[in-house]
Parts: sequence; C-alpha cells; structure tokens
Amino acid sequence: MELKKAGISGTLESSDVMITLEPGNGGIEIELTSSVEKQFGDAIRKEITSTLTSLGVTNARVTAVDKGALDCVIRARVKAAACRAAEVEYAWGGGSQ
Amino acid sequence: MKLDYAFPPRGRKLERIRAFLAGLSLDWDDTIEQTVCLLEDDNIVATGSLRQNVLMCIGVDPTLQGEGLTATIITELIKLAMEAGKLHLFLFTRPDNHKIFTSLGFYPVAETGDVLLLENRRDGIRRFVQSLEQPSTHGVIASAVVNCNPFTNGHLYLIEKAAGECALLHLFVLSEDRSAFPAQVRLQLVRENTAHLPNVVVHPTADYLISSATFPDYFLKDKAKTSQVNCELDLIIFARYFAQPMGITRRYVGSEPDCTTTAAYNRQMKKLLPPMGIEVVEIPRHEIEGQAVSASRVRALLQEGRLKDIRPLVPPATFAYLERMTLHG
Repeated sequence: MELKKAGISGTLESSDVMITLEPGNGGIEIELTSSVEKQFGDAIRKEITSTLTSLGVTNARVTAVDKGALDCVIRARVKAAACRAAEVEYAWGGGSQ
Repeated sequence: MKLDYAFPPRGRKLERIRAFLAGLSLDWDDTIEQTVCLLEDDNIVATGSLRQNVLMCIGVDPTLQGEGLTATIITELIKLAMEAGKLHLFLFTRPDNHKIFTSLGFYPVAETGDVLLLENRRDGIRRFVQSLEQPSTHGVIASAVVNCNPFTNGHLYLIEKAAGECALLHLFVLSEDRSAFPAQVRLQLVRENTAHLPNVVVHPTADYLISSATFPDYFLKDKAKTSQVNCELDLIIFARYFAQPMGITRRYVGSEPDCTTTAAYNRQMKKLLPPMGIEVVEIPRHEIEGQAVSASRVRALLQEGRLKDIRPLVPPATFAYLERMTLHG
C-alpha cells in the first residue's frame, strides 16, 4: 500500500506506542524514542519495518514514541497508522492487507 | 476519569481551568484555541491546551503526578493537532519538567530562565537549517526576517539597500499561515521581487522564527497594547541555530513608527543580538510623497477596492498578483 497522507495510531500511555507515519521517499526511516531503547531499540525497529514490509509499504517516515509496548501492540499500531495514512479500511484480523 | 474538550473554554469552565492552573503557578493564555481536561468526580485533575501547533498550559494535580496523566493529555492534544493537519508540534513548559516531555517524544529547542520550548522532531531545527541553501562567500553575511504581507516597494528598498552593503543576504520569510496573504504566496512574491539581486537567498522559516511557537505576540499586533513583548526565545533561536552555523553577523530591520509590537521587537533585537555576535542595522522606512510605504496600507487600500492607488506602492510582480486576486475573487 502507498501512504497518501500522515497517519497516527496509539497513545503515549504505559505499555503502548504512538506511531506516526508520513509518506517518505528514501525507504523506511524510523525515528524512535523509547525508555527501553538500549535493550529493545533494534527489536522495535525490526518489528516496525517488518510490519510495514508485510503491508507493502516501502517508503515511509516513521516516528515511534514507545512506552514499553509488546510486539503485538507495535504491529497493531503500525498497521492501523498505515491504513489511515493510505486511506484504506483497517482489515481487523485479516492477517494480510 | 473522563476527558472533557473545549474549543476554547469560556465562562465558568474557563474560570475553573484558570484556578486549577493558578494553583500550579501557571498562567492561562488568552490565545489558546483548544483545551483538554481530565475530570474526576467533576474536578479537574489534569489539563493541557493548544494554539495552532503549540502545546501549552499543561498541568497535573500534584497529588496525582507520576500516574501517567500527562501522557493522556499529550496524546489527546497530539490527536487534535493531527486532525487539523499539524504534524510538526512545539511544546512550552518549565525547564524543570524537561524529563517528562523528552520521554514523550519531544526534544528541547531553546530555553530562557523560566520557559523551555521543545519540538516533536529530533534535531528538527538543526536539520532544517542544514537543508537551507548556503552559498560560500567572502565578506559579511547578513540576514533579514520578513513577513511581506504583501511585498511592497518598502521591502524592496530595504532589501536592495541591505544587499548592497553585504556579500550575501539571507532573507527569511515567515512560514506561519496567520497573515492575510498565504505563506506560499508571500514566499513566491519575495522570490520574484528579489530575483534581480544575485547575492540574495530566500528561505522559508518552517515555524522556527517569528511563529506561534517562538514569538506569539507578533500575531496579536492589533490587540497588543503593551510594548513588552516575549521575543527572547525567538532571538536566542535566531542567534544559535541560524546565525551561528550560517555565519550571519548582521541583521537588518526596518524602522517601525506605527506598530508597537514590531517597535518593541526591534528594541529587544538591539539589546539581545549584539552580545551574541550579531550587529543590528535599522533602515528608515521608505517614503513616497511623505508617507511611509507599508504592507498594512496596501491591505487597507485593497479592502477599499482602490487597486489604482496601490500601484505606486508595490513592485510589478506584487501588483500583478493583486490584480489577478481581485479579478478572481
């Protein structure tokens, strides 16, 4: 899917992550703020990138403010933000696009 | 707990928010457009507000601090700003709150003794300034920050005079869309009207100079009676993030006989910039037949439909634009 505008999802509350996606032109760029950056920064980036790749998003500017979210939460937030940014219906439980 | 929104709060609700903030030694700001409160049993326990893309007046009941209420308020404010299409956000707080907001994805830009300004992009301002065209040169590099609402012969006079006195002139055109003419139009007219000057480079400001975030009083000119203006932050940002890396050692301003806000800004500039290594040069207003040429006069004439009287006050590119604009409504 192609991002058409900015999309946001999630909150700044504990155990959540706020994901903002904007259309990009240089692949997937991630700006991450996380209290667990040192231990899990790379894992969080990997999760965001793989979720976007599985949705067919190849260019995006991602801003992620993580408050200790689990992987499944990160995936759900990235997916919701991507659907909003691409202006498509969120396919709950649909697995793929 | 429940969320309560106001666009902006008035009457009794406003009184309660003011009182809550006063208890935290925070002042309400009359320029606020949207406010979010967290209520418990109808009592305010946390609040935060928005003016354009600036988050401010954020406060939490001291007995409930550390429970994540700030995060809830900031989340709501970010979503309100997003809905209005604003992605690049600023936040005002007291310097001692710095840690709470950096953990929520905000990065410090500048601070004075009692206020800290943050933005939601890491190195946002540094990256912006790095992205600006900076031709190499020998000699004095100067600058001017202009609104050009719209571009007049007065602006042309100042820019030509300034450009004649330096090796390179960086012209910054306010990006904030709170003026009669849209930012894109103002920027384009500055580019067209200065195209004949080879040592002038025109830039947008992307909210980093004279904006809602750095110098809100500027946009309240008509209301502001006071000659006290809050522009220290704006001048610190100009000196540190723009002048220093770009090698700017001089700033030009037009003298201001009428507007008290701009006159106060000019005074502050002369006081604060020289100690930071920037000379301030004030150029007297250009006059035609004994009357100062000003953008506000052009706007007034335009409102009265007196296009003909505008012709001597503006360069051809501006006049052509105004003509097109009047024709097409």
